[in-house]
Amino acid sequence: MLEFDGLYKAYGSNQVLEGVSFAVAPGQMFGFCGSNGAGKTTTMRIAMGLALADAGQVRWNGRPVDEAVRRRVGYMPEERGLYPKMRVGEQLTYFARLHGLDAAPAARAAASWAERLGLGERRGDRVEKLSLGNQQRVQLAAALVSEPDVLILDEPFSGLDPVGVDSLAEALLEQCRRGVPVVFSSHQLDLVERLCDAVGILARGKIVASGTVAGLRSSAVGRQLRVVAPDAPPGWAAGLPGVRVVSEQRGDTVLELGPGGDDQQVLATALTTGRVAHFAWREPTLVELFRDAVTDVREVAA
Amino acid sequence: MSTDIRPHTPAQLVRLVAGREISTRIRDKGFLIGSAVLILLILGMLVFQVVINSGADTTKIGVVGGSAGVTDALRAQGDALGTEVEVVEYADEATARSAVKDGDVDGVLLGPSGERPELLVDSGGSSTETLVQGAVQGMSVSRQLAESGVQLQAPPRVDVVALDPDADADTQAAVVALVGVVVLYSLLILFGQFVAQGVVEEKSSRVVELLLATMRPWQLLAGKVIGLGLLGLAQMLVIAVVGVAGALAFDVVDLPGRLIGTVLTVVAWFVLGYAFYASVFAAAASLVSRQEDLGSVITPASLLLVVGFVISLQAGQDPTGTLSTITSFVPGLSPLVMPVRQAAGGAEWWEVVVAVVLMLVAIATIVRVGGRIYSGALLRTGGKVKLREALHAERLT
Repeated sequence: MLEFDGLYKAYGSNQVLEGVSFAVAPGQMFGFCGSNGAGKTTTMRIAMGLALADAGQVRWNGRPVDEAVRRRVGYMPEERGLYPKMRVGEQLTYFARLHGLDAAPAARAAASWAERLGLGERRGDRVEKLSLGNQQRVQLAAALVSEPDVLILDEPFSGLDPVGVDSLAEALLEQCRRGVPVVFSSHQLDLVERLCDAVGILARGKIVASGTVAGLRSSAVGRQLRVVAPDAPPGWAAGLPGVRVVSEQRGDTVLELGPGGDDQQVLATALTTGRVAHFAWREPTLVELFRDAVTDVREVAA
Repeated sequence: MSTDIRPHTPAQLVRLVAGREISTRIRDKGFLIGSAVLILLILGMLVFQVVINSGADTTKIGVVGGSAGVTDALRAQGDALGTEVEVVEYADEATARSAVKDGDVDGVLLGPSGERPELLVDSGGSSTETLVQGAVQGMSVSRQLAESGVQLQAPPRVDVVALDPDADADTQAAVVALVGVVVLYSLLILFGQFVAQGVVEEKSSRVVELLLATMRPWQLLAGKVIGLGLLGLAQMLVIAVVGVAGALAFDVVDLPGRLIGTVLTVVAWFVLGYAFYASVFAAAASLVSRQEDLGSVITPASLLLVVGFVISLQAGQDPTGTLSTITSFVPGLSPLVMPVRQAAGGAEWWEVVVAVVLMLVAIATIVRVGGRIYSGALLRTGGKVKLREALHAERLT
């Protein structure tokens, strides 16, 4: 279990993190979302020992993450970084060695990861000669080459074309299947929704929502019910207990059910007006959840 | 797979970093060409010396019908004229003639003790002629004096009393030290630049963030400085060996022992100077994030090197002067000035000890302060970090 526990961090008068806590289970893919400047990168840098937390701790299997643990963490910084003049193969071997592999296994791992990420032909090329997309692959290979126990990736998908996104996603899912907890930050919420078992939404220095996407949906403010009853008169649902009408337009009604609201009663009432063409709970998208969470902290905090 | 993985000790990490520095640099074309040029320069200087000194070679003179007295007379005359004389005996005129024709000897003296001695030369031969003429005249004068019954007292020998018996050797050693200091200065500038460029490269390419996720700043700094330092030392030693071997082979110096001693002194001062300047350059370079900005931060340290170099040239001429005496104690200047003073015989042993101790104290301080600046500034990319900020920044120990 990778735990981020009550992280606080201020740069001068700018309080960036105010108690960030979340946990990632082995084999879980955790999407880390938040607006620009919310503190995602700072959180990850604290985990990697590149910034010092004012308070709080990051733990791996109950043990504070220190140098020894970090050597088993694959990391991809937001600002990509490789030696521009070093060859791909040598570079990967070097990073594998820095993470504790011996010379021969490091060279083997470098060769096999270059191959797996489609860089086999480019192993002898200097990194600066590669396209940006290929440099990104080398960066990912550098994070994966030591077969890490934990992956922490800052915006790994930014700047990738759809094919690149798919192959990176596949590589990450494979790591999850291996039992590695993967944390990655992203602005591409559709991607997070598609890939992640769990998400955390960071706003104003705190995790304002976290859990599985399904869990977030069910705990979202007042569940919404969409009823399409073409013949219903306006205001047909207004009198029902525990029901608030969010919008109503020519028989297409969105209702919010609070405590005491009963969806079966709503259906029965709707049927009395005539034909019911559509009756379903409305699933909020992650984008909507994110927007809600980021705009109104108090109501969502759970 | 994970059985292959074990945590590193700090020494292993330092070694890994050092290994990367060496293997990257040793394949760099610029570095290889630079090293070749330096070695060629040293060899060129040696050849130049040999050509300058070539006036003092030996003269080979053949003699037909000579004696011990003839040989002595020829040698004595050679001494007077500043050339070494080798006398070769030939049995008859015919063999002697062919020896002159083949160029085996510079000339052949026939019948030196007779009435009409003859000198055979291939062509011209004025210096040989002067020598032989003098020797024959000398023998003739002594013979005639002896025949007239004059007993010659041995003429009084002039005893030479040198007020400074080592002066010549000192000058020679000072020249060797100056050549050494030129090499030392070039290598300090070169490898100081390498360290600085390496630091900025890691910052500008942001790879430093990936590196610091696996090691501490001081390990990265130590690996870089030690790796490049070993390479610099190796280059210094190659140049020293080529230089000394060449000097001995071409017989450029009189006292091989002193030559080697001076060279070793220069090498030792290189190690101290490198530790000093590499730390300064690394700390300065960590303040900037782009190669273009590098010049502005390393100029002060480079200037100190240039000042030291100029003073050392001056110290070669005046090793006991006030300027060279004072600066030979100043850390940063001492690696350039002190070896020249030492070689020129202008430094007492305790002065050297004081200079070395001062230098070691300075290095220890610079490594501490420079390491602080380095760790404080390393992760601050974009723009130039102020020295004060770097010193007070949070450090990742």
